Amino acid sequence: MNKRTCTATASALVAALALGAAGCSGGTHSTDGKGRGENPALANQGAVVGGTPKKGGTLTVLSNQDFTHLDPARNWVMSDMEFGTRLLYRTLVTYKAAPGTGGGELVPDLATDLGRSSDGAKTWTFHLKEGIRYEDGTPVTAQDVKYNVERSFSPDLPGGADYAARYLAGAEGYQGPAQGKHLDSIKTPDDHTIVFELRKPFAEFPDATVMPTFAPVPKARDTGPRYDNRPFSSGPYKIQSYGRDKQLVLVRNQYWDPKTDEVRKAYPDRLVVLMGLKGDQIDDRLIASQGADASAVSWGALRPESAAKVLPDTEVRKRLLAESTNCTDMVQMHTGRAPFNDVRIRRAVQYALDKDAVLTASGGPAFNDLSTAYMPATLFGGRQPDTLKIPTTGDAAKAKQLLEEAGRPNGLSTEITVSSGDKGRAEAIQQSLAKAGIKVTIDTVDPSAFYATIGDTTHRTDLVYTGWCPDYPSGSTFLPFVFDGRYIKEKGNSGNHSLFRDKATMERMDEIAAMTDAKAANRAWQKLDGEILKKAPAVPVLVRRWPLVLGSNIAGAYGQTSFGGQLDYASVGLKNPAASQN
Amino acid sequence: MSSTAPDSAATSTTATAPTGSGPWQLARRELRRRASVKVSLAIVAAFLLMAAGAPLLSALGGRSPDEFDKSAIDPYLGGKPIGPLGGVSADHWLGVEPVTGRDLFARVVHGAQVSLLIALTATAIVVVAGTAAGIAAGYFGGRTDAVLSRLMDLTMSFPSLIFMIAMMSVAKDVNRIVLMTLVIGLFGWPGIARVVRGQTLSLKHREYVDAARVGGAGSWRILTRDILPGVAGPVIAYTTLIIPGMIATEAALSYLGVGVRPPTPSWGQMIAESVSFYDTDPMYFVIPSACLFLTVLAFTLLGDALRDILDPRGGRT
Amino acid sequence: MILYTLRRLAGVIGVLIAVAAVTFTIFYVLPSDPAAAACGKACSTERLAAIRAHMGLDRPLWRQFWDFVSGIFTGRTMGSGQYALRCDFPCLGYSYQNSEAVWDLLMDRLPVSASLALGAAVLWLALGLSTGVTAALRKDTLTDRVLMVGAVGAASLPVYFTSMMLIYGLIRVAGLLPYPQYVSFGDDPASWASNLLLPWLALAILYAAMYARQSRSSMIETMAEPYIRTARAKGLPRRTVVVKHGLRSGMTPILTLFGMDLGGLLAGAVITESIFGLPGIGRLFYGALSTGDQPVILGVTLLAAAFIVVANLAVDLLYAVVDPRVRL
Repeated sequence: MNKRTCTATASALVAALALGAAGCSGGTHSTDGKGRGENPALANQGAVVGGTPKKGGTLTVLSNQDFTHLDPARNWVMSDMEFGTRLLYRTLVTYKAAPGTGGGELVPDLATDLGRSSDGAKTWTFHLKEGIRYEDGTPVTAQDVKYNVERSFSPDLPGGADYAARYLAGAEGYQGPAQGKHLDSIKTPDDHTIVFELRKPFAEFPDATVMPTFAPVPKARDTGPRYDNRPFSSGPYKIQSYGRDKQLVLVRNQYWDPKTDEVRKAYPDRLVVLMGLKGDQIDDRLIASQGADASAVSWGALRPESAAKVLPDTEVRKRLLAESTNCTDMVQMHTGRAPFNDVRIRRAVQYALDKDAVLTASGGPAFNDLSTAYMPATLFGGRQPDTLKIPTTGDAAKAKQLLEEAGRPNGLSTEITVSSGDKGRAEAIQQSLAKAGIKVTIDTVDPSAFYATIGDTTHRTDLVYTGWCPDYPSGSTFLPFVFDGRYIKEKGNSGNHSLFRDKATMERMDEIAAMTDAKAANRAWQKLDGEILKKAPAVPVLVRRWPLVLGSNIAGAYGQTSFGGQLDYASVGLKNPAASQN
Repeated sequence: MSSTAPDSAATSTTATAPTGSGPWQLARRELRRRASVKVSLAIVAAFLLMAAGAPLLSALGGRSPDEFDKSAIDPYLGGKPIGPLGGVSADHWLGVEPVTGRDLFARVVHGAQVSLLIALTATAIVVVAGTAAGIAAGYFGGRTDAVLSRLMDLTMSFPSLIFMIAMMSVAKDVNRIVLMTLVIGLFGWPGIARVVRGQTLSLKHREYVDAARVGGAGSWRILTRDILPGVAGPVIAYTTLIIPGMIATEAALSYLGVGVRPPTPSWGQMIAESVSFYDTDPMYFVIPSACLFLTVLAFTLLGDALRDILDPRGGRT
Repeated sequence: MILYTLRRLAGVIGVLIAVAAVTFTIFYVLPSDPAAAACGKACSTERLAAIRAHMGLDRPLWRQFWDFVSGIFTGRTMGSGQYALRCDFPCLGYSYQNSEAVWDLLMDRLPVSASLALGAAVLWLALGLSTGVTAALRKDTLTDRVLMVGAVGAASLPVYFTSMMLIYGLIRVAGLLPYPQYVSFGDDPASWASNLLLPWLALAILYAAMYARQSRSSMIETMAEPYIRTARAKGLPRRTVVVKHGLRSGMTPILTLFGMDLGGLLAGAVITESIFGLPGIGRLFYGALSTGDQPVILGVTLLAAAFIVVANLAVDLLYAVVDPRVRL
């Protein structure tokens, strides 16, 4: 079970939120669909940019937003989790700090190993290393880890991952530790041992312990909802000041002992995150890389609008990371009601959709790869099959014909919900479906409200545009989450936004899940992917990359494949610390 | 807040000097003398024509405003238009929108339609509501005046842009053009109502109004026959002067992402999207900005001239 | 005067309560669920209900409003047990999004908006009035024409356009200024000014033009008054006449305009803050709106309304001081 070399938890659910993704993007060079040669954005694929950093200096992070949550019990957005767990708090297990596929490897962090299971993977035991200290010098204990897991149940602290709630025994109805109640299924026989008792076997439990939920929070420091503004550090840095949506300053946690930490390099002395800047100004500053900006990196991905300034410039391209997010963007159709309960109409959408136009709206082939299957390329051994052979620009005639067969010769009108950042992609979808007579109205929703909106299965629109990412290279972390009808929830639904309830598919999923031969199971998942594609509950559109332009003084930089291609803050630093501002 | 009321009441006593030979003829003669009026009238007329004939014009250009043209852009450069000046060609007279390749001429023309429709309709709402409220408050006085004046004060105390953004962003399943018009109109009326109220107060006790009253004319008749023509001058001037504000408000709301629904173009929406391309595709940025600029400029010049002539001393709020 | 002020202050409070009521109604009648937004994606029905109860959203509307209004004065305690949040006068509640007291958030952002508005106001007054007065004194000359055409033109420029041109010219090409990011005055006054100069300019250009036009016409009117003629006839130097007599009464209408603009800007420079990425009140509002953070939305609208109303009051009182003809 632990043979995986390329794992990433962060859960499929997470991935969907973060626009980022877990998973691993192998060294598969992008095939850009038009065969115009090597993708200019991928020169640094799998490599470390800028050489080995020198210790010291101030690393500036330019951001157009605030963190959603830094409270480890609530932090469940891909990039924020990366930032939190790489800099501020340590979890039981984490990902190796390495570029390319190496970044998917699990390594012990607080724990001495990747956890030991007993009772058929229903009980998991972790031992904590000695000598790990908080920013005030007090030691990290197993009780603190347990306490934070309990915190994640509190309705006062919403937003976090629900792994604990889904797997821990006796967790039903638990409302967190604020009223003095504790979970019996987490045992701490001594300060350095923690035992989790699960209600069902969960072989991938160590993957889950990468989540910030499994970071320590000392009870005495818990300020409830306000902990979000000042989490207490167990990592290499502590918070000096945090003005929400303005500026976060991190300085060294002098009690952090590098000997206990094989992951974090902690090169810079300080990190300053400047928040709420304009996206276009961030791009311009990093492209110019003048003065203090040379020691800066961008928090968010490069905007598609800036591609024209980056791609033709060989100097800037040398400072460009573009790791794949490994998430498949899809148009998911509400198969539970008319008109999309008719497979012919869904197939019409499949044929009408001009993926090429969406790709362009998404920043073009340099920053995206087209998708012809649901599961991303890594789950197909590097290349997705194209079973339907629909032209990338769509086939409006065929779509019209399908609509006619379905008794809708005059087309139909429908609505799509997209996150506001996907407006351009939605317009491309709208335009291409219009050619086949499907009139689409676009509803843009702010990212923070997006999942709540589309998770409401009765009130949501027929179409939604959303992504999914595998936790690790196995179809079991993709297809069941997206197409298993038994996962559907009336409210707060996630993953299966097609509301796809296909008996044959569900039976087949159970059969594959029971297979013992991993290779055979893999092949079976791949085959099932194609079979679901024929039933067309969703149209796979593209897989995004996470392009980041780095300042010219940045060293040790690469996209962390397990955190959606976000810059790995565990090992980034400066070439010349003296050149950075203090 | 009542500070401006005594001021305009005081000044407006001299506002419309009674002239023997028809004030409107004088006004027209005066207007014709000014070069700025001619130019701005021409610009306004051109844009109005453009807005009205949008479908026709874009048909002439051979492109619909929503139609993508992939051949006009380079997907490898983030969708930058191919060719000089943002892809200006015989096919695309003003070039294309980056990323989508939509025809800029068609979009700017349809955008004019949306922007001007919203601005002019909102203005109409403001003028009708404001004039009615102003006349009622000024003429009937007493409790009517008190209630309406308080309402004006209250509305003016609302941080209008903030409220407009809020209302636009919470309302989802509605016609956004209609909503935007109503929302903009909702906050605009007190300004004009105050001007009209002041004017009405001064007209109310003029001899000719008293004469009409003594002659047994009803309120309605006095209001429409005597008061309304008296306030018409300042109202017209004021109206012209608030149109630029309305256009700018539409642009502001669209800029903040609470404007029209995609793919509908409006100038504000176009500017908002083109800001990120201001250096890579300046043409895309300049065209909607220039349209907005010219329209606002023309209405301002026209309004200035009208105010000078129709209401030389009042109407400054 | 004192009585008048007191009466007006009572009116101010009335207006603020009305604004709060309207804001409240808008956000609670229209469909938007802050609990669902806070709950996140894997949100079970029970958890949603618990969060709703925690936020107090399960109570009737009038009750929530009453809690809010009375809470401003008496303070409130939110949540329970170890996580209870206590909020004292003036209590505007806690942000759902980042659990900070709304009042603290507002006070944190106000310096940014105030820096922006006041700095821009100084610039536009200086620019606008000098242009307007110059034009007025040279009425109907070429200078007057050029200045006024320039002013109308500048006022008509979309602020987005001006801003981008300023960014391009002063930052990208000339490299004279940094990309704006707020530095507090207390930390580094020089850096504060250089970072804000660009937004100041963008705002000032827009407003200066308006003030130039206004002050010109007002000045021309004043200079035609009989008492100015008298002063001139007395043989006073032109400079004295213009500055002492002309400006004083010529500027009174400007005062109204200025009060309203400043009051509106303090809490409403959403666009400028958005263009330049400044963490002011406007951006706080915009962010709160997109996350359905109702306490913050309510707080900002109240603060914004308060600024407008107080600015109006201040203008009226100043009027009485500046202009002896006005009696309160």
